[in-house]
Amino acid sequence: MTIASAPARRRAGKRGGLDRPAATGHRRSGFRPAGYAWILPALVLSVGLIYYSIGYTGYISTLSWNGTSPDPTQVGLHNFTQLFSDHVFWLAAQHTIISFVATFVIQTVLGVVLAVMLHSRPWAGVLYKIVLFVPVVLAPAITAPVFRQIFAANGPLNALLQHVGLGAIAVPWLAQPGTSLMAIIAISIWQWTGMTFILYYAAMGQIDPEVLEAAELDGAGNVRKLVSIVWPSLRGTTIALLTLSAIGSLKTFDIPWLVTVGGPDYSTEFFGTMIYRQSIILSQVGYGAAISVMVILLALVMGVAINVRPWRSRAAAGAS
Amino acid sequence: MFAIRSTRSRVILQIVLTIIVVPFLLPLIAMVSGSLAGEGWGNYTTVLSVPELPLFFRNSAIIAAATIAIVYAVTMAGAFGFSKLHVRAKELYFWMLLATLTLPEAVLLAPLFATATALNIYNTYWAVILPMAALQVPFAVLLARNFMNGIPDELLAAARIDGAGSVKIFWYIMLPLTKPIGAAIVVFTLIGAWNDYLLPLVFLVDPTTQTITQLPQFFVGEFNQDQTKVLASAVITAIPEIVAYLCLQRSFERGLTAGALR
Repeated sequence: MTIASAPARRRAGKRGGLDRPAATGHRRSGFRPAGYAWILPALVLSVGLIYYSIGYTGYISTLSWNGTSPDPTQVGLHNFTQLFSDHVFWLAAQHTIISFVATFVIQTVLGVVLAVMLHSRPWAGVLYKIVLFVPVVLAPAITAPVFRQIFAANGPLNALLQHVGLGAIAVPWLAQPGTSLMAIIAISIWQWTGMTFILYYAAMGQIDPEVLEAAELDGAGNVRKLVSIVWPSLRGTTIALLTLSAIGSLKTFDIPWLVTVGGPDYSTEFFGTMIYRQSIILSQVGYGAAISVMVILLALVMGVAINVRPWRSRAAAGAS
Repeated sequence: MFAIRSTRSRVILQIVLTIIVVPFLLPLIAMVSGSLAGEGWGNYTTVLSVPELPLFFRNSAIIAAATIAIVYAVTMAGAFGFSKLHVRAKELYFWMLLATLTLPEAVLLAPLFATATALNIYNTYWAVILPMAALQVPFAVLLARNFMNGIPDELLAAARIDGAGSVKIFWYIMLPLTKPIGAAIVVFTLIGAWNDYLLPLVFLVDPTTQTITQLPQFFVGEFNQDQTKVLASAVITAIPEIVAYLCLQRSFERGLTAGALR
């Protein structure tokens, strides 16, 4: 995934304090010593360990194995046929898609709006930035107990709702299948909006102020500037964030596991929680590996889709 | 950037901003006030007097430090090779590395578990450090390579004419020039390692090796579901993270703007 495009490289060069036009990295400039020894550690560690694990997972997925017995049984593709008829797997897929769309849309809107507002020099802007970003650095494992309490039937959220006269919608959020996924999505948004915000905030800082001044002289108002100048120039950031949220949604584990354990009745089950439940809790390691194989395939398809994306060249053109 | 001229629109801006941001603050307030319910500060003295508590922090610190050291060394060398040196089929290797970016750590559980048991490193720091570093390296290499691409080749060619070999160039030119992105990589790796939950959950089994992300779970057992103590332990674990963020805020934001995600 080449998230950074040519303009980014140019900017990186400027930031490094070097006044030459950069991006000469790929051009052969005469003699170049061999670099195998330099990239070897990275390849052995990451490519080695991860590809080895993927291969091993593929093998385990053909077994009926509890993880410890010395002689697992070969079952061929049985785990996969079982998986395709397992409604929990399809639920997990559905939850992944719903939470990806919901978190991405809401975070993008919030991120852009907040970045615009904080670029408008409000009073005590730094404090707002800190409040937004603290959730990003806190481990979900640390904040999960708080959210279990907040969303509890007699928790602070429902107390607040009753206080403002909305007692009718006060429900045990985490204890019923209809609302538990909403709660999990809300927690993800709480956790990650700061990241979206900070990236948009940084990207907006790169917009040439002269362009905005010129637009202003031509009579453009704030809304006009946002729609015609700011938003188009954020395109690269939006695509990068789209990529990150898509990957992130496949990785979802901590929040649903710690807050609802994937329940009630699998209503907050994701691929990660399902793999963990099957492989570790239920000792169905072969079945867990089959789910892993499907997730790896999904990740692969997504990676390819992102890289052959038709908008890539347009985005590069739009960003420069 | 946006012109807010009248006092009225300034006040409106402030109010709308506050309305959006307050929900982000409320859970943090709920955490602190929940931790002070019941016995008040007594919750904290109880939690702090649990003898295992320092162990969790020590373990997290060791794991984070080792992960950072490995990721930094491997990434900088790798990015130098990918950016500035001759490697045949370089792009292929680079793509193989980047492909791993999309993988959730959950899919590695079964093979890593089997391997860790076979190698006898189950319930040791290494069982967490190695996969964690392996998962962090690809993104770090992507950041560092993009940054290094911005360093002009002429600079290296000049050093080479003066007789410097690759090692010297790496040590005396690349490392000093890549400090901004290096700092960002350290911060990213720190957050990733410190906050990781799944790998320690699976590979570390008792307080002598477990990390701070296992603390709430440990206290649920220790204090028999006494929520106030669990929240007090959450606050105690959150404080170092918030302090670290406030100290490293600049490197973090600079790293993001250093050409990473655009």
